[in-house]
This record gives sequence, C-alpha cells and structure tokens, in this order.
Amino acid sequence: MTTLSVPDVRPETVTVVKPPRRPPPVGRLMLYLVLAIGGVIAALPFFWMVFGAFKTGAEIRQIPPTFVPQDWTLENFSTILNDPGLPLTTFYRNSLFVALTNVVVTLFTSSLLGFIFAKYVFRGRDILFWYLMAMMMVPPSVLMIPNYLILSKIGLLNNLWGLVVTVAVDPFAILIMRQFIRSLPDEQIESARVDGASEFRIYWSVVLPQVKPALATLGLLTFMFNWNAYLWPLVVLSENSKRTIPVILSWYSTQHSAQLNLVMAASVLMVVPVLIVFLATQRWIVQGLTLSGGK
Amino acid sequence: MTVEARERPPSTAPPKGRSRRSLEAPQNRFRRVVLAPIIVYLAFFTLLPLVWVFALSLFNYSPRREGASIGGLGGDNPFVGLENFQQLFDFSNPSQLTQTFHTAVVVTLVFAFIVLPLNLLITLPLAVMIEAAARRLRPLLRTVFFMPVLTSAVAVAVIWQYVLNPQYGLLNGILTKITGDTTVISWLNDPSLTVAGVPVALLAVTAAYLWMDIGYNLVIFIAALQGIPKQLTEASLLDGANAWQRFWYVTLPLLKPTILLTAILTMISSFQAFDLFQVMTLGNPDNQTRVLPLDIFQNAFTFQAMGWAAAESLVLLAIVLLITLIQSRMLRSKWSY
Repeated sequence: MTTLSVPDVRPETVTVVKPPRRPPPVGRLMLYLVLAIGGVIAALPFFWMVFGAFKTGAEIRQIPPTFVPQDWTLENFSTILNDPGLPLTTFYRNSLFVALTNVVVTLFTSSLLGFIFAKYVFRGRDILFWYLMAMMMVPPSVLMIPNYLILSKIGLLNNLWGLVVTVAVDPFAILIMRQFIRSLPDEQIESARVDGASEFRIYWSVVLPQVKPALATLGLLTFMFNWNAYLWPLVVLSENSKRTIPVILSWYSTQHSAQLNLVMAASVLMVVPVLIVFLATQRWIVQGLTLSGGK
Repeated sequence: MTVEARERPPSTAPPKGRSRRSLEAPQNRFRRVVLAPIIVYLAFFTLLPLVWVFALSLFNYSPRREGASIGGLGGDNPFVGLENFQQLFDFSNPSQLTQTFHTAVVVTLVFAFIVLPLNLLITLPLAVMIEAAARRLRPLLRTVFFMPVLTSAVAVAVIWQYVLNPQYGLLNGILTKITGDTTVISWLNDPSLTVAGVPVALLAVTAAYLWMDIGYNLVIFIAALQGIPKQLTEASLLDGANAWQRFWYVTLPLLKPTILLTAILTMISSFQAFDLFQVMTLGNPDNQTRVLPLDIFQNAFTFQAMGWAAAESLVLLAIVLLITLIQSRMLRSKWSY
C-alpha cells in the first residue's frame, strides 16, 4: 500500500515483496531469541518456587540442586495445612478484610471527592486539592512513626481497623476519579438538578454509573496494593492471629529457614490463588497503572 | 447568607426559570456535609502526623519512656532542639547511630542510581521488542514480564532467597552446571564480595528488585509506544530508515517526556524500597544493604529511638522532595517536540 506513494526515484522499495514493516529474518530471529531468553529469566523464579514446593526435605538439600522434582510429594502442603501454628484461613480472612474494606472505603471517598473537585466551584478548592496532591509525595516511612503513635493512643494497634483508618482518603484515587468525572458533561448534572434530584442522588445515579470502568480499575489496584502491603501491616500488627498474609509469610520463612520446601509450599499457598485472580484481571490493572503513570 | 453569596461561583450560569440561590443552597449544603468530615479526617491523619514527626525530630523520644502530657514529649523524653540533625550531619561523629545513618544514605543512593539506568536499559528496548513481536505473542510476553509486579514483594523476597541460596539455590546450581565445578557463592551473606566497589549482596537484592519492578515501567512504555501516531513511523520507513534509525530518531524523541517521568518515578520509589531488604538481608552483611527506610524502621520500632528515626525520615522526605523539584523543572523545560 505504502509503496504506491513512493516516488519513482526509489525503485528498490517497490521491489520489496514482503510488507516493509517486517525486518529481515535474521533480525527477526534475534528478536525472538532475546525475548525468549528474557521470558525464561522472568519465569524461572516462579517455576523454582513451585517445583521447590513439591520436593522432599531431602531432595531440596541436594547439592547440586535438582530443578524439576525427582519424586513429587504433596507432604509439604499437608504439613502446612495441618500446622496449628499456621491457620491459613485466619490469615486469608485478615487479608481479605483489610483489602476489601479498603476497596469499599477508597472507592466511596475518592468518587465522592472526585465529584466535588470536578464539578463544584468553591473557595479553598484548589488549596485542598493541592494539599492532597502534596501528600502523595510524602514517603510512607515519614508518616509511619506518628501514625503508629496515633493508633496506639486511640487503641487501634494490633487491630485490622488500624490498617483501614489511616488510608481512608487516597489522594491518588481522588486524582483519577476527578479526571474521569471532569469529562462528564455538565448539562447532565444541571438537568438532573432541574428535575429536582438531590446532590447525593446525582452523585449516586448520574455520576457513579458512568465511571464504572474507572471504579473497577481503581478497586482492583487498591485491592492489589493492600493485599501485597507489608511495611505498615508489619508495624501495626504484632500478634500472629491478627496478621495479614505477607507479614505471616515473612515470619514463617524466618521460622523455617532451614526447611525451604515448607517455605516454598507456604509461598505457593499464600501467593498463587490471588495471583491467578490478578492475572485474570490483568487488563484492568495495566490500564489503571498506565493511565496514572504514577505509583 | 452573605457568605453564601460570596462563595457562589461566578462561572456557573444561573439555570433558567429559578432563582440562583434556591438552586445553589443544596449544592453548598451537600458539599459541606461531605467535606467537613473529610477535612477533620485529613487534619487528624495527615496534618497531625506531619506536625508530630517534625516535633518528634526535636526530641530524644522513645515510647518506652512516660514523658510529659502532650504526646509524651518532654519530661523523660527531653527536648533537644536540632541536636538530632546536627548529629545526622556530623561527619566526624564516631557514634554508631550516625555512622549507620551515613552508611544507609550511601547504600540508598548507590541502590537508586544502579536501579534507574538498569531499569530503563531493560524496559525500553524490551517494550520496543515486544511491540515488534507477532501480535499473537504480545499478550503472553507482557504477562510473563508483568507477573512479578502482581506478586507480593515478600513472596518475591522469599523466592529470591531460595534462588540465591549458597548451597541449594538455583543460581549456584546453574553456575555449577556451566562451569563444571561446584559453585558455592554466598550472594547475600559474604561482605568481602564486591563488584567495582559495590557489595554483591546489594547487587543481589537489586537483581530481585529489578525482576519485580520492570513489568511496571514496561507496560507504561508499551502504552506510550502504542500512542505514537502510525504516520510518523511509516514516514520514516519511506525515507529508508532501518529499524535502529527508526528507534533512535523517531521513537526515542517522541518518548522523551514519558521516559523522563518514568525515570523520576522509578527513582523516587527506589528511595523508598523496604520490603525486599527487610526480608532478604535485614541490612546485612556489615550494613552493606542497609537502606534508609530499613534504618528508619529499625531505629523506630526495634530500638524505639523514635526521635532519631523521625529526624532520619525527614532527611528522606527532603531527598524525595528535591528529586520531585528537579523533575518538575526538567519536565517543564523539555516538553517541546
């Protein structure tokens, strides 16, 4: 197609049989070779973890190590599932509680504030908005110490709610929601007002339904972020029965550092189920990350 | 009512038929009802901590000691003014705390300045290559490189500890296969191992960090590449540009703003890296992997020296703000293309 527009001074482009986009075969081969090597490096540690979880205690201590298990065993998993000191369902429940509660709270506050920042004009709006944006710059290590002291004063240390109250207003989520809601036509909101709808009703029935994709993306990001969070849960939760999965995995790996087969089985049990969910919803997660360009 | 009138936005035109005030009143009420609790919340959980961390940095504070009435500051937790900061920046101070802080700053800087170029040198070409691959293969490739981003950092750390294990690890196993003799390298524990002056333990954690982090920038670059208008690359094709020239003279200049923004974000987040270091090395061996967030965490919660840790965290804040400032300058001056 494109060759048609080429002036006659360049006859060599016309003689190309294949579409010009395609590099020569050698280059093509190199491309796939590099990608394959990169892909293998990226995937190898995952296989190492999964294979390790199926090795016996003797095989995992073999030198040099085997890659694929010689005799597969499920014993590691049964050891972990029957370990009274490691009630996995409790940890899953803790993690789920924190992640889901934070998703609900974040989506509610960010869409409501996003609506107000996008569609209302009032004194102090810009100051408040820029204050929120500036808070995004503050590293977690800075607020961690005073927030710990605040939680200890209000009795929320070693309490899962302590992981909720400190992140109930998420500047990043507000920024995204404001962006989306700003693109909705003002006339819609105005006409709902003329029809006598209350402001909350406009938010709930006019604005929210139109930003569902943004809500889904943000919800997933919030869930993933909270599910994988480590530093703050480590600071707040001191009792094992209250802890979330990453904190427990770290604790367990220190406790059983000599039994890597058990540590790998624990990693598999704690990581793989949710990883599958994340992979299935990857498209929206990627969308959320790229649309933000920020962490 | 007069206050109401002054707050009224001049930009919104009054809807026909009804008076302006009767329509605006519910809007203002709604806005206030929403914002009042939010502002109280922000004051309590963002402004108060900021003030508190500044206050803490001026005291020799430990939560173990009772102290005076306001936040336990004063009394047994004496006010020391800027002494914490003086000690932080006193380069002749032989005290353990000061020395460790200096080590932590250096380790953090080295880590951040290794991560940044390596990350960009991997992600940018990789993004271009993935976009050049057959359409059907792209989702698979993206997924493979993106999977570590979805995995919790603790799991990444645990997996990599096993990969790098001196006796039973994958890496030494592979090296043994290749070289023929048994390789037992203590990637994470041997303080005497260095490459060009950089401790191997730090490089090992950096490798795990890069593995975990590249998928993130990768998807951002892929999105940016997909945003480049087709006409531009096609035009260069007609001019007889080869793949390399196309990348160097067309794609790269167009990606400049994205690269700059990504570089800054990568740098800021590497200054805050904590999880991998806490799980994989805890700062060992010989503080060779003690990054600033880890030092702050340990001083605050292991040694309960919160005044000192607060002062340290403010230094971290200053570094991050400085980079953000430089970023906004660069972004402003280099937008044109």
